[in-house]
Amino acid sequence: MGEMSTAIEVDVRNPSGLHARPAAVFVKAASGFRADVRVANVTTGSAEVSAKSILGVLGLGVSAGHRISLRVEGDDEDDAARTLADLVAGGLGEAPAAVPGDDA
Amino acid sequence: MELRGLPAAPGVAIGPAWRYRHAAGRGIPLPDVRAAADRASEELLALADRVRAIGRHDEAAIFDAQAMMAVDPMLLDEAAARVAAIGPADPDALAAAVEAVARAAAERLASLPDEILAARAADVRDVGSRIARIVAGREIALPDRPSIAIADDLPPSVTAELPPGSLLGVALEGGSPVSHAAILARGLGIPAVVAIHGLVAALDAAEAAAEAAGEDGPPQPLLLGLDGEAGTLSVSPSRDALARLEARREQRRHAGAAARELRGRPGMTADGQAVPLLANIGRPEDAPRALDAGAEGVGLFRTEFLFIGRSDAPSEDEQVAAYAAALRAFGGRPVVIRLADIGGDKALPYLHLPPEDNPFLGVRGLRLCYEDRGLIRTQVRAIARAGAEADAVPHLMAPMVSTHEDVVMLREIVADALASLDAEGVARAARLVVGIMVEVPSAALCAAELATDVDFFSIGSNDLTQYVLAMDRTNARLAAVADALHPAVLRAIRATVDGADGRGIPVAVCGELAGDPLGAAVLVGLGVDELSMDAGALDEVRMLLSRVTTAELRDLAATALRARTAAEVRAAASALLARPAGVPAD
Repeated sequence: MGEMSTAIEVDVRNPSGLHARPAAVFVKAASGFRADVRVANVTTGSAEVSAKSILGVLGLGVSAGHRISLRVEGDDEDDAARTLADLVAGGLGEAPAAVPGDDA
Repeated sequence: MELRGLPAAPGVAIGPAWRYRHAAGRGIPLPDVRAAADRASEELLALADRVRAIGRHDEAAIFDAQAMMAVDPMLLDEAAARVAAIGPADPDALAAAVEAVARAAAERLASLPDEILAARAADVRDVGSRIARIVAGREIALPDRPSIAIADDLPPSVTAELPPGSLLGVALEGGSPVSHAAILARGLGIPAVVAIHGLVAALDAAEAAAEAAGEDGPPQPLLLGLDGEAGTLSVSPSRDALARLEARREQRRHAGAAARELRGRPGMTADGQAVPLLANIGRPEDAPRALDAGAEGVGLFRTEFLFIGRSDAPSEDEQVAAYAAALRAFGGRPVVIRLADIGGDKALPYLHLPPEDNPFLGVRGLRLCYEDRGLIRTQVRAIARAGAEADAVPHLMAPMVSTHEDVVMLREIVADALASLDAEGVARAARLVVGIMVEVPSAALCAAELATDVDFFSIGSNDLTQYVLAMDRTNARLAAVADALHPAVLRAIRATVDGADGRGIPVAVCGELAGDPLGAAVLVGLGVDELSMDAGALDEVRMLLSRVTTAELRDLAATALRARTAAEVRAAASALLARPAGVPAD
């Protein structure tokens, strides 16, 4: 399955990078897919971590202007890669209404 | 022994000390790390709901994130690897392993160059402690009777979790009045004093001494008296000191009941001078809480929530919806919408602001328009349209106004925005009430000149204090001296009131000082017309105003203006407000 993975790079533009709330939005979205999603901070040359780990994602230290890579492997990998890349490019919808489950 | 710190939440508490530490006994261990993590996550989600219900969205976001951390696959995998060699028979070793894994994760975050991320390290450690407690069947030694919490720092999750009624007050060695523990204490309505240097060592010594003195029976917790306005903690107070504290507490209790009865009545001094009391809100959803507390309107609607944390500017339509929602919620009562207060410290990708060495002295607030008026012009258009949609007269105010040229520019932007709506045939409010924040010393000193072109002033006491005293309000080491009741700040406020008087425009205060009972008294004495504050402070300020006359407040203000120190001002204000409620002194 390794050769079947989908890889994509995307610039992080929302002001707080992948911190706190945006990181939580990203991890929640990644966790919704069956595929294994690995993410790395291209700008700092970090190691890959699971995109389903809030601690891993926070630990990448992704600030505004950094570029991240996504590597997705699994059944729904195309959908996952596209959805996550769009989410990051769109600023990770920090407006509270756009955060799934945050309005309970 | 009396220890001194910073007042962080008002009120008086008398009760036994409760030290934040593990209980001696233990409950049933849960030697399954995965199950313990799930339980921790559920507890944290419940806490998020609880604080969201009292309007604390920031803390709710922390607990939501912590709930996610608790079941983090990386954390759980590392923990699983470490506990594999430990049998379920040794829950303490399991707990220690879990805590170590969380500590290591926290260290990784703490080592990141980004301060915001580094600050999350404490949240991770707190999550680790929670899972470890569940695994080991240990609990925080909950107070067995209503107590005053003593700690170096209290994680927000612990503060929010203590059963209602068990916490009489909070005294911390660390923290600041703007720390989460302090904000939560205010939200929960319990007194708090923070930044008490030497607190933990002093309590340790006092406990040891008490234990050595009384040899019979189990050691009794120390008796404490906490004064959330004076910022003092009395350890084993003398009989006299105790009597004084009890009298004040009793008086506050009556005052609290009486204050609730005053809800729904407008703010007014004992001699009948109206002082409208308004609420500060951060988003339209805060309206119900403000209305419940009897707010007579909104003196500060912060609009930054629309602008931060996104990759492009909010659309005009999106803004219209938010402003109209707030205007409608307050049906006809004034709502002051503040134009976005954004600067180099909040880099918004769509504004392309270069980083600045001194963002608090940089291009922020209305100064954004020096380079590009587009963002603010759109906001003014949205406010005018929202007025039409909600059938209300919106008030707008500009932050960070420092010169007459700024006011002229604001007027141009407003005129231009309205003209553009008219040219497009878009419905708008017939009129906008246009005011400015007075938070920069130059604006206070030139208030008379600025007053000629605006409809009202609103003093931002937090920033005014920072700029008058040249003390960064985010610097914890200056928190003890950066007091908004410093005579220099009060003289700047007086200059603002004098400048406004010449033109007959009203002056409001919308900083923390307005919701501090001592501050509110001094401000009204200085001639401030309206006070806007967190909704939780309205009852108390309404009550205190109803008990004093304008003449008394004017005398207090005169004393305050002559004072040499903030402490002298606080003493004078306390003396006036400490008078027994409703009855003449005997």
